[in-house]
Amino acid sequence: MSDPKMTAFGINFSPKLIIAIIVLALVGYAVFSAVYIVDQTEEAVVLTFGKYSRTEGPGMKFKIPLIEENFNVPTKVVQKMDFGFRMDNQEFLGGTTEAARASYKDESTMLTGDLNIVDITWIIQYRITDPRAWLFGLDSKEKTVRDISQSVVSQLVGDRAILDILGTERESIQAKATEMMNDLFTSYGIGVLVTGTQLKDIFPPEGTVKAAFDDVNVAFQDMSRLINEGNETYNKEIPRAAGEAQQAIQVAEGYATERVNKAVGDVARFKAVLGEYRRSPEVTRNRLYLEMVENVFAGQEGTDLVDKKLGSFLPLKTLTGKTSAPAVAGGTQ
Amino acid sequence: MAKTNNNQLFTIIGVAVAVVVIGFLVAGPFYQIREGEQAVITQFGEAVGTETTAGLKFKIPLIQEANIYPKKIMSWDGEPQLIPTQENQFIWVDSTARWRITDLRKFYESTKTLSRAYSRLDEIIDPAVRKVISTNPLQEAVRSTDIINETKRSGALTGANGEEIEALKSLISSNTDFNAIKTGRRKISQEVLAGVKTNIQTQFGIEIIDVLIRQIRYSDQLTESVYSRMITERKQLAEGYRSYGQGKKQELLGKMEREKKSLLSEAYAKAEQVKGDADAKAARIYSDAYGSDPEFYNFWKSIESYKTTMPQFQKTMTTDMDYFKYLYSPRGR
Repeated sequence: MSDPKMTAFGINFSPKLIIAIIVLALVGYAVFSAVYIVDQTEEAVVLTFGKYSRTEGPGMKFKIPLIEENFNVPTKVVQKMDFGFRMDNQEFLGGTTEAARASYKDESTMLTGDLNIVDITWIIQYRITDPRAWLFGLDSKEKTVRDISQSVVSQLVGDRAILDILGTERESIQAKATEMMNDLFTSYGIGVLVTGTQLKDIFPPEGTVKAAFDDVNVAFQDMSRLINEGNETYNKEIPRAAGEAQQAIQVAEGYATERVNKAVGDVARFKAVLGEYRRSPEVTRNRLYLEMVENVFAGQEGTDLVDKKLGSFLPLKTLTGKTSAPAVAGGTQ
Repeated sequence: MAKTNNNQLFTIIGVAVAVVVIGFLVAGPFYQIREGEQAVITQFGEAVGTETTAGLKFKIPLIQEANIYPKKIMSWDGEPQLIPTQENQFIWVDSTARWRITDLRKFYESTKTLSRAYSRLDEIIDPAVRKVISTNPLQEAVRSTDIINETKRSGALTGANGEEIEALKSLISSNTDFNAIKTGRRKISQEVLAGVKTNIQTQFGIEIIDVLIRQIRYSDQLTESVYSRMITERKQLAEGYRSYGQGKKQELLGKMEREKKSLLSEAYAKAEQVKGDADAKAARIYSDAYGSDPEFYNFWKSIESYKTTMPQFQKTMTTDMDYFKYLYSPRGR
């Protein structure tokens, strides 16, 4: 085999063919590495020999291989960062179940302005607004954002009393935290914008302290209940008593009317009789007297009448009144 | 055969040239500085220049070397330290700082590596934080402003009426008046920064951008006593609520009793008054009428009275009565 041709797989590899294959491979690599894709949610920063040359929008883009490099940055995506907890296995659990939440007490425990302890978990949402500044202005990106957010929330919480934090100040802390973080990030010039801070759970420390805090709420309810009970009894009794009072007054009014009317009636009758009497006093007087006696004795039996001149009569009467004692009559049955 | 030799020689020379060229290029007269980077040029270990802009740069191969350093904002994270405050309460203070290399030559001469820079920063910033924290009372490190005294706290009393809010406010406000702060966390941060900034700048060519307190926590021992203080504070408030509710209830019951009694007694008084007036009026009516002929009234009233009273007596009469005056004689007695 003096011929320099080599054979493999039945193909003759002449030097020309080998060169052709190498050239083809190089061209293929060049084309392949010259093309890159920028997603709809991203922007790409392109460096030429390490120096910034341009920022590209979404689509299929070209660069000079080996000389230019591209960095894709998700500028349209709002990113989220958790504090005091982490959502594990978000894809598996949908990121909502409690079981997926791991607690990070060292982040969530902080001091309040009245020197109490409170547990706060929160999230921030942020977006990269300047991919160039973000990529090349800041070294430990995630850590810096995290440090600043922790520092700002801790400062705001440290400025307020625990009851206010648990109650009315939540909104104000959220708004202020966003504002203060953005002020700091702007001063660093790192091209990131915090779009929102949300305080999630705000709790007093677990266990007996939390129980004591809960008890205050219970006590507040107890207080309302006691006051309501007082009002209830009051409302139950007072209208009734008012009614009773009215009743007594009405009864008295009735009595008064009756009494006066009776007097008026009596007097009218008397006056009528008096008129008659004045016309013929003797006759009227006698008539009235006789009518009275008649009225008194009419229809009544058993009245004993005793002649006053009958000196020897000893009137005997039984106390029971109905049947007189037979002994006096002297007869037998 | 000579032609073959020639060809071989040509190939050897070509390969040699290629090796030299590639070797030259690899050993590098050219190097690249990316955005966010800068380089110190050293010549046999001696720093001879710096390159702070991005792009393709030139150096003398084999003799000069480019040492790349970041130009970005870096993050420094201190270990949490246990520091006694001015009132000797031990707290964990965790601080964080942002820095960047501004004088690369000085940086290279004094530290050379980033890890050494970090330990230099530890050595300077940690004691500075310790010094400032330990010379200030705890509340100065926790709070930044006096906003805590400005918050309106009636929000916690939703469900109570106006009068009750006033009463309960005094209950709550027993532990909501705070001393005004003199320094505050923001100023403490600035003090720490001012204390280290010049020193670090002149020594290491590093600019400290800010030093922030990321977190403050009580020491474990202190935490327990703070817990019990929080619990007693809550208990005090809870009992206050309950007692207020109980008191309010008793007050309502008392008020009820009073109003009930006053309603009923007023009604009694009024009823008696009305009755009495009626009695008086009736008496006047009677006396006006009867007074016109008292003798006849006596007669008339007597016989009217007999009519009602006589039938009830058991009677034994004598003929002595005027009624019987004609019983024995038509001429009368």
